Amino acid sequence: MTESDFATRLNDRFPEGVTADEREGYQGYIIAADKLIEFATALRDEFEFDYLSSVTGVDYPDEGKLEAVYHAYKTIGGAELVFKVQTDRENPEIPSLIDIYPGADFQEREAWDLLGIKFTGHPDLRRILLWEGFEGHPLRKDWQEAYYEADKKPFKSRWPKAEYTRAEAKNPYGANVKYPDKFDPEKWVPEGEDALYGSLAKYETTDKDGLKTDHLTVNLGPQHPSTHGVFRIAATLDGEKIMNLNPVMGYLHRNHEKIGERNTYLQNMPFTDRLDYLSSLSNNFGYAIAVEKLIGIEVPERAEYIRVIMAELTRVQNHLFAIGMFLNDIGAFFTPSLYAIEERELVLDVFEMVTGSRMMCNYLRFGGLARDLPDGSLQKIRDLVFDRLPRKTDEMDRFLSENEILRSRTVGQGYLSTEDAIKYSAAGPVLRASGVPYDIRRADPYSIYDRFKFDVAVRYNGDIYDRYYIRLDEIRESIKILQQAVEQIPEGEIQTGKPRYQMKVPKGESYGRVEGPKGELGFYLVSDGTGNPYRYHVRAPSFINLTAFGPMCKGLKVADVVAVLGSIDIVLGETDR
Amino acid sequence: MDSALIWEMVIKSLVLILALLTGFAYLTYYERRGLARIQSRVGPNRAGPAGLLQPIADAVKLIFKEEFTPGQAYKVIFILAPIITVIPAILITATVPWGGTVTIGGREVMLGIADINIGVLYIMSVASIAVYGVVLAGWASNNKYAMMGGLRSTAQMISYELALGLSFVGVILLANSMRMTEIVEAQRGLWFAFLQPVGAVVFFFATLAELNRGPFDMPEAEQELSAGYNVEYSGMKFALFFMAEYTKMVSISAIIATLFWGGYRGPFIDTMPGLGPLYMFIKIFFILFMMIWVRASWPRIRYDRLMDLGWKILLPLSLSLVFINATGILLNQMWLIPLLSIGAGFLAIQAINLSLRRKENAR
Amino acid sequence: MTTMQVLFLFFAAIILGSAIKVVTTKKMIHAAFWLVVALFGIAALYAMLNAGFLAMVQIVVYVGAIAILFIFAVMLTRKELLDKGAALNNNKTIAALISLVFFGGLLLLLTNWSGFTKMAPDLPEGDMVAKLGEALVTPNAYLLPFEVASVLLLAALIGAVYVANEARSE
Repeated sequence: MTESDFATRLNDRFPEGVTADEREGYQGYIIAADKLIEFATALRDEFEFDYLSSVTGVDYPDEGKLEAVYHAYKTIGGAELVFKVQTDRENPEIPSLIDIYPGADFQEREAWDLLGIKFTGHPDLRRILLWEGFEGHPLRKDWQEAYYEADKKPFKSRWPKAEYTRAEAKNPYGANVKYPDKFDPEKWVPEGEDALYGSLAKYETTDKDGLKTDHLTVNLGPQHPSTHGVFRIAATLDGEKIMNLNPVMGYLHRNHEKIGERNTYLQNMPFTDRLDYLSSLSNNFGYAIAVEKLIGIEVPERAEYIRVIMAELTRVQNHLFAIGMFLNDIGAFFTPSLYAIEERELVLDVFEMVTGSRMMCNYLRFGGLARDLPDGSLQKIRDLVFDRLPRKTDEMDRFLSENEILRSRTVGQGYLSTEDAIKYSAAGPVLRASGVPYDIRRADPYSIYDRFKFDVAVRYNGDIYDRYYIRLDEIRESIKILQQAVEQIPEGEIQTGKPRYQMKVPKGESYGRVEGPKGELGFYLVSDGTGNPYRYHVRAPSFINLTAFGPMCKGLKVADVVAVLGSIDIVLGETDR
Repeated sequence: MDSALIWEMVIKSLVLILALLTGFAYLTYYERRGLARIQSRVGPNRAGPAGLLQPIADAVKLIFKEEFTPGQAYKVIFILAPIITVIPAILITATVPWGGTVTIGGREVMLGIADINIGVLYIMSVASIAVYGVVLAGWASNNKYAMMGGLRSTAQMISYELALGLSFVGVILLANSMRMTEIVEAQRGLWFAFLQPVGAVVFFFATLAELNRGPFDMPEAEQELSAGYNVEYSGMKFALFFMAEYTKMVSISAIIATLFWGGYRGPFIDTMPGLGPLYMFIKIFFILFMMIWVRASWPRIRYDRLMDLGWKILLPLSLSLVFINATGILLNQMWLIPLLSIGAGFLAIQAINLSLRRKENAR
Repeated sequence: MTTMQVLFLFFAAIILGSAIKVVTTKKMIHAAFWLVVALFGIAALYAMLNAGFLAMVQIVVYVGAIAILFIFAVMLTRKELLDKGAALNNNKTIAALISLVFFGGLLLLLTNWSGFTKMAPDLPEGDMVAKLGEALVTPNAYLLPFEVASVLLLAALIGAVYVANEARSE
């Protein structure tokens, strides 16, 4: 079905309420808010766009509009469908898509948190990244940041001529907390048995025999050895069984997107390194693709090859680390993770040689690369991908995959069905381990991935074991790509035109996405023709994969929660942004 | 009871306790170096030559750490719990013979504290009260993680005591005595580990569970419960838990060596009984290495699987081993014992594999 | 008084004191802990009677398993672990009277029984544990009671499994 066929069909189905977005540089459709539910249902059921990848919003204060932007895909492959809903800025209300695409859950909460779009019908529309007492919605254009943008400055020493008000003084809770009358927290001592057992008896259920059972509410985190950072899991337990589970995040939130709007386009390149700090080159890649789509600039052949090599090496080292840390989570005392780190260090050596940095690589540029491969680095990569990495991957497989304890901890646990995986917008290894052969490198090829022979790793059981094992599969496929790329890499330029600090970016929007090691990493950019992005949104796989975390854990044991979390493989730098 | 005998007992006990406590300190060093080697690291090598002063540095650090008692803890039991944990760990070695009888200054001295006729049972009873420290610590801390750690350890220890006890029965049958020295002497020809190999393996795993060491370190499960029952403990109180765990490792290794690996027996032991402690040391050293090795290479078993393993695999297996031992002894065909027990062990492994088969959407 | 008598009085005091604490303390978990102390005291008495085997079994079974199960159960129950009502009810006078009568009756019977004042015979020489084991499986000693007890316990075990299974399958 061609593009115009689709447009006709859509027009026939929705004669009213669906119009093409005809602003300069924009694409997709604008949906009337009251038609959205009907449209989305038809999109999912009739037009096969069953995967809602990204939900975000843009603020247009000049037009008095807030716009919600949705990107939907077909899991059988193909390009995206962008649709937007515009709403009034003063009273922004858009129907929630959570019933049609449950994967919109966290993303709608994020859009509410940062932009203040009320998604009516969302059962739990709370702030997700910022704290409950935060004033305003920071991604709105009229919101001003206390330290940099607002008139009132916090410190006299730095702004001698400004007004001084502490941002904290403005928050609706005043001094942050309120106590009941005549209550002195300094003198309060809980008494007797209540103090001892009160914390354990928050919830109770009564079964049919009239037997009362208390449920224990346990917070795993924010400080906890296996949450991979500052992440909290609020779980209600019946014995050791999980009754209910909520991930709580945002402890590492720095409003990446707001800072991104203040930076120039190139300044954001090193900033993307800090998202998923384990795989910075993939982040660079996604961002470069999004900006290149906006500018319409071509990338030289050699640069594309080097990009692919770097991106695949990133995937290899990320998966090695993920497997090692996952084994750590299920209680292997550091041995697998240290073995994995040993290999990862070799990959990082290559990164250091090529980019000058081991973790914060900042290597890609718009239309090319920062610098060419140094002498000898190609040989080093060749040694790695033809000898050491395949050998060591097989070795890990041999050591770990048939281990009885590992299998008993993972096989059949943390089950995510194929339907649920698509429904919850899971991405990357989590999606593919549930039997959806959806890999952007194959489904919607970017860069030069259509030239390589490789298989999309897919497994069908949707349990923790498959999510573990698929990472080994993907390492093997990546090594295949690397072997071909290293053989085929041509000589030539690595940069289209002269390297520049600032470039002219035409008006418009673009969505660049790559298959990052953790899943679909998308960058949604809106340009207003100035030197800074007007809107800069990151579709973070670590964040969105967590939507399925609660449903996966229900009915499991406490120990499994940690294993499930390890099998999702999150990095908090990306989750909290 | 003459005064010399009392003095002999006191001195022997003192020497044993001192040896255990030094052993505990250097076991931590041994474990850290061993783990490091297995994980391709170096391990502690800064304090003193080759890091040999590291245990002392650790002790000094722990002594100077702040003693913290949570406001809502039940104070008496909170303080009592580490003490209750350490005492059985030291007491349990009392019946272990460290060598034959040697002559020191014209006096016949038995290398061992007490050689009572119910030595094996004594070990069982002391091991069974060791769980109190963990339970009380978990309960008195008034912390959810600690509480769950305490509950887990209770259930775990009760379950594994059965397999442990039945493995003891196998040894008692083979030796025809509950006296530890007679068990050692009964291994004059063949160590019980060769006569009853599966029993030795079952006993080893049951003691790992009893010791709360990986892969059975449920009560402290760092990744799940932060530190489990000792999460609220700091300073010397924590050090006592630590000490109990490692002292118990040494003690239990000594027991394993005695029951299955010939105890203090070795070449030339009959002519030179003074060699006994040396042989014990070597055997303990190797058994400790096994424990460290297991910890370094295996993930943790999930709690309910642990119970399944204890009740559904190890308990029937050790029961059948008792039966096999009895059959072999009754028919006076000792070669039947290793043969049949290996068969039983093979069946148990098949049962484990069977339970691991992929289950459809299993929870 | 001999050392043994002093020790006996000491342990008896511990047992009685902790037993009284078990029934009078209002906190269930404390009652469980006092019970552990009482059970230890009884083990000590066994040891004093040269019944080392029984003493150890007492510790393994009662202290190491049964009391731990009590504590386990108490820890899992709800927060109202405080015995709120009065420890005694209206019938306390009658109950005291009845128990006094029983005690008096038993005392009277025992003082008239010839075995009450007789010293226990000396223990036979040899390994007591082996003798105990033989006694348990010798047909003209304790084989029958031993087997009857085993069958009874087995029946209880199967019953418990059945009840637990029924509760689950519903």
